[in-house]
Amino acid sequence: MTGVQLVQAEQAPLLARRYYANGDPGPIVAALAHVPELLEVTMPFLDAALGPSAVDARTKELVILRTSAVMGCRYCIQTHTVVARNSGLSVAEVAALRGPQPLEEAFTDPRELALLRWVEAVAAGPGPVPAATRTALQRHFEDPEVVELTLLVGATLLLNRFCTALELPTSPKVLRRLAAEGWA
Amino acid sequence: MSPVAEAVRDGVLPGRVWLYANYHCNLACTYCLTESYPGAGRRELGERRMLALAQEATELGFTALGVTGGEPFLLPYLPELLARLAGILPVVCLSNGTVFTERRLERLRPLAELPAQIQVSLDRPEPDANDAMRGPENFRKVVDAIPRLVERGVRVRIATTVQAIDDEERERLCGLHRRLGVPDADHVIRPIVRRGRAVDHGLGVDAGPADLPAELTITTDGAFWSPFGPTVHGGRLDTDLLITRTTMPLRVPAAALLRLVEARPPGSDAQLNIQ
Repeated sequence: MTGVQLVQAEQAPLLARRYYANGDPGPIVAALAHVPELLEVTMPFLDAALGPSAVDARTKELVILRTSAVMGCRYCIQTHTVVARNSGLSVAEVAALRGPQPLEEAFTDPRELALLRWVEAVAAGPGPVPAATRTALQRHFEDPEVVELTLLVGATLLLNRFCTALELPTSPKVLRRLAAEGWA
Repeated sequence: MSPVAEAVRDGVLPGRVWLYANYHCNLACTYCLTESYPGAGRRELGERRMLALAQEATELGFTALGVTGGEPFLLPYLPELLARLAGILPVVCLSNGTVFTERRLERLRPLAELPAQIQVSLDRPEPDANDAMRGPENFRKVVDAIPRLVERGVRVRIATTVQAIDDEERERLCGLHRRLGVPDADHVIRPIVRRGRAVDHGLGVDAGPADLPAELTITTDGAFWSPFGPTVHGGRLDTDLLITRTTMPLRVPAAALLRLVEARPPGSDAQLNIQ
């Protein structure tokens, strides 16, 4: 049961049709298709923010999965558990990112721990993010990376709230994979 | 010159913008695109919004307006609104021709001096065949109303929407509209489009973007490709020809429509004679 009807292929608006060309586009597109002019700008933005870029896939998945866990987004946690595993994260690392056990049990690289502390500070809000947390991050990341990773937290927050508020369904394929690997 | 104005000038984009004034109607025709009937939700665009859209349409470079529904003349403000719209751009208003009381006809008299036209639906030359599709007494009311509009100097166009019509019947129909005061140039015959209620009755031809002129069409639900776009079936709005939900500013859907039109492969112009 979703919070809104998902737009099916035969009702896909003109600006949305290309997203349906290869079959089911997934619930995020199928929800955004109600407002094609937003779909048209949101998907390229999400692709740029979450997709392949100058920052490696593993680092990006740390950000996406940890942000989603902080926000308690069922859809994003489930979907990105699979993506994170596909990106090379170990079972222990994914489990730590999903919480609630301490991150230090799975992560020892100071660079990644500094990033995860930054993610938690940005995602948990509200109010200012501690300068010390940013300073710790900047010991390991250049400004362009800081900007990109911070925007990635923001883009993930957008998705977290969108998917949670509209109760978007996790794909059966993801659910089968989670079940096969013993994820709750 | 704006991109829209250039596209209209070059024939890339049709010049007319359609406004869906409302969705309710005093009739319930068997092939109605919007499943309109007396109890249908009104979903009015409203006077102020229609005027604002017309003003922006002319500023963008569109060259004409169309008003449709539902039955637009169920809206009490329509006669005066049409005059104001015609002061902005030439306008054609579609009507089933059955609600023209003497008082309403008098209020339409100013249209005689303006670039305005009322397009009345008349499908068959005889009452029985016509009324089978459009409801009891439709033929009588329409053939009564048309000469009274013409007498007042209002330009009338007749639209015939049919599954098929043979030469003999077409000749009888043309003889009728000439007697009513409507010249051949103001009579169009077009196919039923298989959308809305026509789907349930197995009527009409399938039509997609490749078949329908890319006329920007504004409704309370959004902007569509062609006035044949914002159809209703099973009580649900069809969105397959939706362009944008945003209708104001009009430049938003106009730009999106232009992008869609320019992205079409060559030779994809409208194929059906749907006007």
